[in-house]
Amino acid sequence: MSNNETSIVLEKGISLWEDAWIKLRKNRMALIGLGLLVFLCVVSLLTPWIAPYGYEEQNLLLGATPPSAAHLLGTDIFGRDMLTRIMWGGRVSLMVGFIATAVALAIGVIYGAVAGFVGGRVDMVMMRLVDILYALPFMIFIILLMVVFGRNLLLLFFAIGAVEWLTMARIVRGQVMSLRKQEFVEAAHSLGLSQWIIIRRHIIPNTLGPVIVYTTLTIPSVMLLEAFLSFLGLGIQPPQSSWGLLINYGVETMEEYPWLLIFPGIALSLTLFALNFLGDGLRDALDPRTSKD
Amino acid sequence: MKQRQPISKSPLFSTLAMTLIMSLLLSSCGSSESNVESGNRTGTLHWGNGTEPQSLDPHIATGVPEHHVITSLMEGLVRKDSKTLAPKPGVAESWTVSEDGRVYTFKLRENARWSNGDVHNAHDFAWSWWRALQPALGNLYAYMYFPIANAQKYYQGEITDFNEVGVKALDDLTLQVTLANPTPYFLQLLDHYSMFPVHQATVEKFGRADERGTRWTYEGNLVANGAFKLQSWEINRAIVVVRNTFYHSNDSVKLNSIVFYPTENVTTEERMFRAGQLHYTNDVPIDKVATYRADNNKALKVTPYLGTYFYRINVNVPHLQDKQVRRALGMTIDREQLTEHVLKAGQIPAYAMTPPNTRGYYPPVGLSFNPEAARKLLADAGYPNGEGFPSTEILYNTNEGHRKVAVAIQQMWREHLNIDVKLLNQEWKVYLDSESNGDYQISRAGWIGDYVDPNNFLDMFICNGGNNRTGWCNEEYDRLVLEVAPRAKTHEERLAIFGQAEQMLMDDLPVLPIYTYTSKHLVNPAVKNLVDNILDQPSYTEIYLQGESN
Repeated sequence: MSNNETSIVLEKGISLWEDAWIKLRKNRMALIGLGLLVFLCVVSLLTPWIAPYGYEEQNLLLGATPPSAAHLLGTDIFGRDMLTRIMWGGRVSLMVGFIATAVALAIGVIYGAVAGFVGGRVDMVMMRLVDILYALPFMIFIILLMVVFGRNLLLLFFAIGAVEWLTMARIVRGQVMSLRKQEFVEAAHSLGLSQWIIIRRHIIPNTLGPVIVYTTLTIPSVMLLEAFLSFLGLGIQPPQSSWGLLINYGVETMEEYPWLLIFPGIALSLTLFALNFLGDGLRDALDPRTSKD
Repeated sequence: MKQRQPISKSPLFSTLAMTLIMSLLLSSCGSSESNVESGNRTGTLHWGNGTEPQSLDPHIATGVPEHHVITSLMEGLVRKDSKTLAPKPGVAESWTVSEDGRVYTFKLRENARWSNGDVHNAHDFAWSWWRALQPALGNLYAYMYFPIANAQKYYQGEITDFNEVGVKALDDLTLQVTLANPTPYFLQLLDHYSMFPVHQATVEKFGRADERGTRWTYEGNLVANGAFKLQSWEINRAIVVVRNTFYHSNDSVKLNSIVFYPTENVTTEERMFRAGQLHYTNDVPIDKVATYRADNNKALKVTPYLGTYFYRINVNVPHLQDKQVRRALGMTIDREQLTEHVLKAGQIPAYAMTPPNTRGYYPPVGLSFNPEAARKLLADAGYPNGEGFPSTEILYNTNEGHRKVAVAIQQMWREHLNIDVKLLNQEWKVYLDSESNGDYQISRAGWIGDYVDPNNFLDMFICNGGNNRTGWCNEEYDRLVLEVAPRAKTHEERLAIFGQAEQMLMDDLPVLPIYTYTSKHLVNPAVKNLVDNILDQPSYTEIYLQGESN
């Protein structure tokens, strides 16, 4: 128990987010990650204007060439500029990563929080439903969605999100269940706080850590899933591309044209590193248990 | 041989599957001996077969991978010399042809036996051919029988008595076949699996004679007449065939067994080859050909192949009905660039359906690369500078090579005609369904010769032919191919008629020929006596293995 007065000032003056931001700023790796992500997003947004070539522009005579002054990251077997393709691929990959994860996050967190907080029979029914969905082979589920709704890029993102929320729901529900019984929640109850305030003020901040970590894991898996679906003809189609697809094609010719694998690989790993560092930093910054020391 | 099989369906899955297979094989060996080493010792050929066969029923199968397995298990009346492709004795030890070229009399071998020891005679052929012509069986290759007198009428239900069809077992060892017209390539047809005999007792044990997909071709059930017999068939793992001791020429067969692997992913297949898991690969990845060539690696075998890679156009799609549009599409594919810079294995640009020098036949030049004229045609068709051209899709079966060709062509059309074309890939069987149901706009296709004759490439485009699939129909064309050509007096006259027919096909362009295939394989040096031929049909009875160590 420290000085009562200062703690009141702190509680009033700094919200959870401000507090997190202050702490995040002290974490260098997290800041680098954040900067990198912002950079990648900006490049992706500006790609149509800043890309050196068209992503579909072929030069069969040129073929696959290693990096040169004209093509900084080399060209693929059709003589298409790799830098351009990576930039355009990044648009798709980042978009699928963020949209699908946001969908999964929204469904998963709400679903899990409701199940965990209400508990009892509702929880039982909701979680059995999750179990059933888990048992469905997810590939078949996505393929069915695509067959019913047709091949549409945005829909693909939602479809992936719609199958990725299950684990999220379980994690959140577990967290919420354990938090519901904790002393500080009971204390809040006994102080007469409304349920909504308890959820907002105590439950959600405490679940953020695992949720963020899991989110940073979901984004890469979603990107790879997209590559796989595209390969089966359910995702994006040539001449468009994504990092996952570029890597997939790169693997096939890695002995002949290593740059076709290395550069998209670097782009994807950089993104994943950035996400992981940022996720780590955010988790530390948002953990309410570390805030009062 | 029909549809060129899919080489890789879903690389991720099959890579996993192959890795599994490889690790299983490695662990089962225990020692460090590879498949190739142990195979050389025991006379076991490890064969990359491209894909899992649809069926081992010779009257149902239509693909190249099926061909390999079936020809190891079964044999027709006549075989082909693996080098010259000239007919040589199979189940029939000799034959005579009547002077008018219409009556063939085959003398069967006295020592012909089925793999269970049953006597194998002329009645087996009469019964098998009766079965192959049952409409209920759905034999896509039924038209191979049509040179036989009345076979077409019987198949189409115009006559119901099979005795009127020109097939007769005169006695146990003599089979007489009467043709409708003298057919110069008839003996070649007999070596095609659609004319192979099947064992009546076995077929009937597991279902009706004309029932599809019964269990008679399964492991433990199949009885056949070839040099090898089926030992095991593990789906998506391997098919193992072993020496058939009842085979009439068993003494001359050198291999003891063959293992066929469904190597769907070319990249994985090539790695298996390098790891000593395969003696022979079904294909070579496009980008690896150059590497093998640069290394002067003797394992790489690239040979001419009697097959055409082409795009079918569904002429029932409104905007593709106009032949000017089809011509514009055909004239803006830069085949020289495609073969030289994308495919890079000596493929020949194709401007007509039939490969050049098919039995002395050179097709008329039906197309050229001419973007300017193409743009004009497209404008005449109502799409100046590609404006307003409806959304169009190229369908292909999931495969690296097909994707590369489609991506290149997509861009050529975008560049020269300013039209946007989408690509759509489907798994092999789904793709085949879409194509035969006419549920496509433009679809990639390949046709590999079943026998060496232009007829094999031209009779598939007759009205409603089982392998036409474009909706194109021209009665004059049908007349030339089906009626005029078979009655031609000389070889030259016959070729001229085919040329006339092909010119019609190339004027209308329901198909866009792209290139003439080359076959690409990696072959272990221990494999001896594997002879190249333009049909790419190996003779398993002649191959033998000789490792360097022994």
